[in-house]
Amino acid sequence: MSVDTTASAAPGGAPAGLGARTGSAADVDGVVAIFRRVLETPDVAADADFFLLGGDSLIATRVLSAIARGYGVELAFEDFVLAPTPEGLAELIAAAR
Amino acid sequence: MSKHHGTEPVSSDLLDAFTEIADRFPERPAIVHRGHAIAYRRLRESANAFAAGLGPNPGAVAVQATHTPETVVALLGILMAGGVYCPVDPQFPTERQLAMVAGAGCRTMAGSDHGLTARLGLLPVPDDRAPGGRGPRTVDPDDPAYLLFTSGSTGQPKPVVTPRRAISATVASLRELFELTPEERVLQFASLNWDTCFEEILPTLTTGAALVLDAEAHSGSFPRFLRLVERERITVLDLPTAFWHELVLHLAEDSLALPDCVRLLVIGGEAASPARLADWSALPTGRIRLVNTYGCTETTLITHAVDLSGPRAGALGLAWDGSTRAPIGRALPHVVERISEDGELLIGGPALALGYRGLPEATAARFAPVDGERCFRTGDRVSRRPDGVLDHRGRLDHEIKVRGIRVDPAEVEAHIAGHPEVGAVAVAGTTLAGRCALVAYVVPRTPQTVGALDREVLSYLRGRVPGHLVPSRITVVPELVHTASGKVDRAGSHQRHAPRGQVTEQVKGDPR
Repeated sequence: MSVDTTASAAPGGAPAGLGARTGSAADVDGVVAIFRRVLETPDVAADADFFLLGGDSLIATRVLSAIARGYGVELAFEDFVLAPTPEGLAELIAAAR
Repeated sequence: MSKHHGTEPVSSDLLDAFTEIADRFPERPAIVHRGHAIAYRRLRESANAFAAGLGPNPGAVAVQATHTPETVVALLGILMAGGVYCPVDPQFPTERQLAMVAGAGCRTMAGSDHGLTARLGLLPVPDDRAPGGRGPRTVDPDDPAYLLFTSGSTGQPKPVVTPRRAISATVASLRELFELTPEERVLQFASLNWDTCFEEILPTLTTGAALVLDAEAHSGSFPRFLRLVERERITVLDLPTAFWHELVLHLAEDSLALPDCVRLLVIGGEAASPARLADWSALPTGRIRLVNTYGCTETTLITHAVDLSGPRAGALGLAWDGSTRAPIGRALPHVVERISEDGELLIGGPALALGYRGLPEATAARFAPVDGERCFRTGDRVSRRPDGVLDHRGRLDHEIKVRGIRVDPAEVEAHIAGHPEVGAVAVAGTTLAGRCALVAYVVPRTPQTVGALDREVLSYLRGRVPGHLVPSRITVVPELVHTASGKVDRAGSHQRHAPRGQVTEQVKGDPR
C-alpha cells in the first residue's frame, strides 16, 4: 500500500504563483521552526529543501497542517513541491493571506 | 430503492458480478468524479467499448494509472477483453517504467499521454470501432487478471501475476468484511499503481455502491481532505496506516472528529502505532469500525483482518493504552492459513498469485507445496491467539515497509552500487521523524570523491527509481561494518554511523 499525495492538480486553494509577495522574516522563521519540529533536526536554513533534508510526501502533511493551524492558510502538496523551502512557503503564505 | 438491498449474492466471478450489478442498478452512480456521477449502465458501456478496442486476448496492457474514471474503465475493459491490467505510474522515472513494461511483456498502453506511450516503445490502445461492443468473454479462473511489481533483491522489480480466481475470491470476502450496501460511498484514495486500490474499487462496483474520485483527497491538506469526506458523504475510507497515523495526529491536535458520515475505516500496510491507536480511542470515534488488515501482493489484497475499535471490536477496542500492539487479524473465509514450525505465516487457497513472471527460481523459493497444498511463504513471523487472531512477531528476512510499500534493502543497494563513484553501500530501515524510513551508508570508491557524493547519489537515484526506494538520508562513511563471515552488516553499519541520538532500533519489516 502506498501513500500517494502527488496526484493531479487540486482545483482552487492557495494561489501557486511565486514571488507575488515576499514572505516576512517572521513567517520564514515560523516555517523554519515547523521544519525543525517535523524533521526532528536543528539544522534548517531559510533556503533548505524539505526533501533534501529527508522529508517526504507523508510528513509534508504535518508541515501543511502546522501552516493551516498557525497561519490559517490551507496549502496543498502541489504548492509545497514547487516551493519546498521555508522562504518559498513563507511567500505562499503571504500571497494567500 | 427497489426491494434489492445489495445483499443478494452475486456471481463468484468478479466480472460476472459487476455485470449483474450493472443490470440490477443501471441508473445508480458507479463513479462520482469531482461531483459528476457516472451511472452503472454507462460505466459498463464504456468498459465494453474499451474491451472492443483492445480486441480479444490483448495480453498485458500497460495503463497510465491516475485517479480518473478512465483508469477504472481501462481496468474493467482489460478484464472484459481477457487481458492483464499492468499499471505504470506516469510519475516514475522512464528507466523504471521501461523495466516494468519489459518485465510484464506489455505491447500496448492506455492513457492520454501518447508521448509516454511512444517513449516506452508501446502502441496506443485503438479507439473502439464497433460501437455497442460485445459482452464480456468467458475467461478461465486461472487466467491472469493483473500484474504488479514487488521489490527484488537484484535491483529489477519482480512481476507478480495474479489470476482471476484470486481477485474474485478476495473481493467476495471483502464485500462481507466491509458490510457494503448499494447506499455506500467509498473514497478512492490508494494509488491506482498498487493493489490496494482494488480493495476500494472492486467490492464497491460489485455491490452497486458509489466510488468517489476527487483530487482533494490527494491534496496533502487534512482540512481539505475532511471537507471532501463531509461534502461527498463518504461512508468508507481505506487508508494506508502511515497516512492514518498522520490523520490521527491532525485530529488529535485539533480535537476534531471524523465527519458523521464515515462508518468504516480500513487501514493496512504496516503496524498500527500503539500511540495513534490510543489517540484514536480518546477521540469521539466509537461508532466507526476501525479495521486493521494484513496481506501480501502475492496473496491478493487482504488475507487477515480484525476490528480494532468501534461497534464490532468487543474487548479488543478497550485495549489501547498507548503501549499495546495491534494484532494483524484473523484469516478471511477464503484463506487457508498455516504457521510453520519456525513461526512463519504460510498462505494457501484460491488467493495465491500464479508466481513471478519469468522468474521460476524466485517463484519456487516463495511458492512451495506444504502437505500437498501450494502455499506462499510470507516471510512474516506470527503467533496465534486462542480466538484465531494473529500477532506479528517480525520478519524472517530483511524486508522493510516504506510508506506501506515492501522494500528489499538489497534492491536499493543494487541501485546505489550502480553509481560509478560508490565503492560499497549498506541500506537499513530506521525510524525517522516518527515513520519508517530508509537510510544509506555509502563508501566512496576513492577517498578523493567524497565531496558531494551524498547529493550525487541522491539525484542519481531520483532519475532511476520510484520515491519509496530513495533513502531519506544518505551518509558518506569511510567503511562499513562486516559480520564475522565477511558480509556487510546493515544493522551494525547503521549503529556505528547514524548521527548521535538517531540510533533507534532498526525497523524490522512491519506487517502490511
